[in-house]
Amino acid sequence: MAILADERSRIVIQGITGREASMVTRHSLDYGTPIVAGVTPGRGGDNVHGVPVYDSLKQACREHELNTAIVYVPPAFAADAALEAMDNGMKLVLIITERIPQMDVVKVLHLARSRGTVVVGPNSVGIISPRHRVKMGAIGGDNVERCFIPGPVGVISRSGGMTAECAWMAKRAGYGVSTCISIGGDPFIGSSPRDLLEMFQKDDETKGVLMFGEPGTAYEEEAADFIEAGGFTKPLIAYVAGLFMEEMPQGTVFGHAASIIQGERGKPSTKIARLRQAGAYVADTFNEIIPLLQKVLG
Amino acid sequence: MSRLLEDASKKLLSQFRIPVPRGKVVATPEEARQAAQELGGAVALKALVPVGKRGKAGAVRFAASPEAAAAAAQELLKMKVYHFPVEKILVEERVNIAREIYACVTYDPLKKMPVVIASSQGGVDVEEVAATYPEKVVTKQVDPYLGLANYQAKEIWCDLGLKGDELRVATDILWRMYQCFEKYDATIVEVNPLAVTGDGKGVAAGVLMAVDDDALYRHPDLASVIQPGSDRAWRPLTDIEKYIIQVDAEDPYRGTARYTELEGGDIGFLCGGGGGSLLMFDTLRKYGGRPANYTEFGGNPPERKMYGLTKGILSKPGLKGFFLSINITNNTQVDLVAEGLLRALKDMNIDVKEFPIVIRMAGVNEPRAKELLEGAGVPYHGDDITMEDAARMMVERMRQAHPSY
Repeated sequence: MAILADERSRIVIQGITGREASMVTRHSLDYGTPIVAGVTPGRGGDNVHGVPVYDSLKQACREHELNTAIVYVPPAFAADAALEAMDNGMKLVLIITERIPQMDVVKVLHLARSRGTVVVGPNSVGIISPRHRVKMGAIGGDNVERCFIPGPVGVISRSGGMTAECAWMAKRAGYGVSTCISIGGDPFIGSSPRDLLEMFQKDDETKGVLMFGEPGTAYEEEAADFIEAGGFTKPLIAYVAGLFMEEMPQGTVFGHAASIIQGERGKPSTKIARLRQAGAYVADTFNEIIPLLQKVLG
Repeated sequence: MSRLLEDASKKLLSQFRIPVPRGKVVATPEEARQAAQELGGAVALKALVPVGKRGKAGAVRFAASPEAAAAAAQELLKMKVYHFPVEKILVEERVNIAREIYACVTYDPLKKMPVVIASSQGGVDVEEVAATYPEKVVTKQVDPYLGLANYQAKEIWCDLGLKGDELRVATDILWRMYQCFEKYDATIVEVNPLAVTGDGKGVAAGVLMAVDDDALYRHPDLASVIQPGSDRAWRPLTDIEKYIIQVDAEDPYRGTARYTELEGGDIGFLCGGGGGSLLMFDTLRKYGGRPANYTEFGGNPPERKMYGLTKGILSKPGLKGFFLSINITNNTQVDLVAEGLLRALKDMNIDVKEFPIVIRMAGVNEPRAKELLEGAGVPYHGDDITMEDAARMMVERMRQAHPSY
């Protein structure tokens, strides 16, 4: 079954004629992903690697059945594209664009909550479900199998690179992945690890989840609360990076924009303790993920 | 997020017709004396540094006369406030304060909405007030589409027990603060204290403001007043940091890079990815390595950016090795990374036989990257080893090259 991305996905790419979006379209089609349509204002009637381009999403929806939008639109127009996707009934909006103004993102997320739309990102590298040959975004590039092969491990990471690296660690341990989600490194994102654990709980294909945690935000703490409340009963294997930041002057950002410690909030040591307390398996070093996965998944 | 200095923040607030004390920016004790004279003798002097909690740090002084103002300025100008040397001072008229309250507009990270935080007790740390007297603090999320209505601002102060003139002026100021927050894409607009004077007027006596870097394109007028990089450093930017900001700005949307200089250390540290860099920094330290800086870059940097980054990192005195790691990437052309790196090494006359270098990167065009690096005598690792293995290898190389390491 996987989550968010499977053979039922019918995908439109907003901003499809851009340099990166066009390359991603080709890689995704090669992988077997149903990229059905694209939208770029003023380019209606063109095609990108055989995918028809429309001026508006409304026009694309008249010609195709669509349920998922991937936003590759530049920062100044990205929020507008996300609203267009919601207003045209998309169930999932994946926002790849980075550096979108915070107020724009907050507005998009506010509307998404009232509409029940799932937003992933912004600043996501993408989502991939290998068994279903669906990849959304640059995730996997043109060498998908190096990291992403079908299997029972769900992967959640704020970092796009670490999403791939975690899937690769699972592969080294002898497992593949069900769905991997790069949730985005910004302070405001649509789907938190807790939201995704709720989806993974219901997914038969997923036997356990590997999460890469970072300083800042309360995502890891929320995940621990969710496990304690009985919302997620499968094994969660986690690594939390950035312990060194606890020795650095407070309020300084390292890595992602959301990676900041303020007072007692956002400390990796607290996150690790909370996750362990809730029964998650936290690796002390990155290599330890391999034996942990083997121990937990058998 | 970029902070603004208080004089600039107050100018912005006064555009929204929020009353602020009359003031003047000075750089010498003599200027402070003159400013105090013009402002009526008794003044407040505030160090202009891009950090909060200045009162606690002793960076806010009061003077009863122009002479006292000059003396206070002399002391302030010798100070460092949380690592920032004081170069300028805001001299302000003394406000006749009858009551101090607190108002702040910022974002609620958990609810992902704008939020108003208000307190009937100002002039002190609001977190301490909230911990001791929770009933004196009201927190209210704001619908980002609708904004803060005037009546909502009023309700907040009513809940805190304000009445009469106090209620009227506090409502007006809070309502205007939200407009400033929205108009300028601020991440925080804090007024502490919000002073109510003896004759019932409101004054934004202390102001802290920061704006969203990613929205600066809509506010060209802010370019001259923001303190760039102020969320990534706890002290003024160093020369290398300034250089790398320049290198980054030449290609703003490809391979976005940030460099933070650290005290001491001897391994030049350059990592791809926000998460990967955190992991590698922790892991190098775990094995006994001492990174001299923290540098992280985003996807697919052009060759000239890699060249600039490497050159900047290697220019810090005392470096004894160099570490480059990029997690298995989806889109980074690692051959361009290799080209930039090799050009910088050559420019800096670094003998790769003597100088330990560990590289672990996997991405697009790997065979060419490997050929380039190995051709120049630099060992290359891709997905044959894990990230942790690479960090351990770096420290092992340091120990081989420098037996006392």
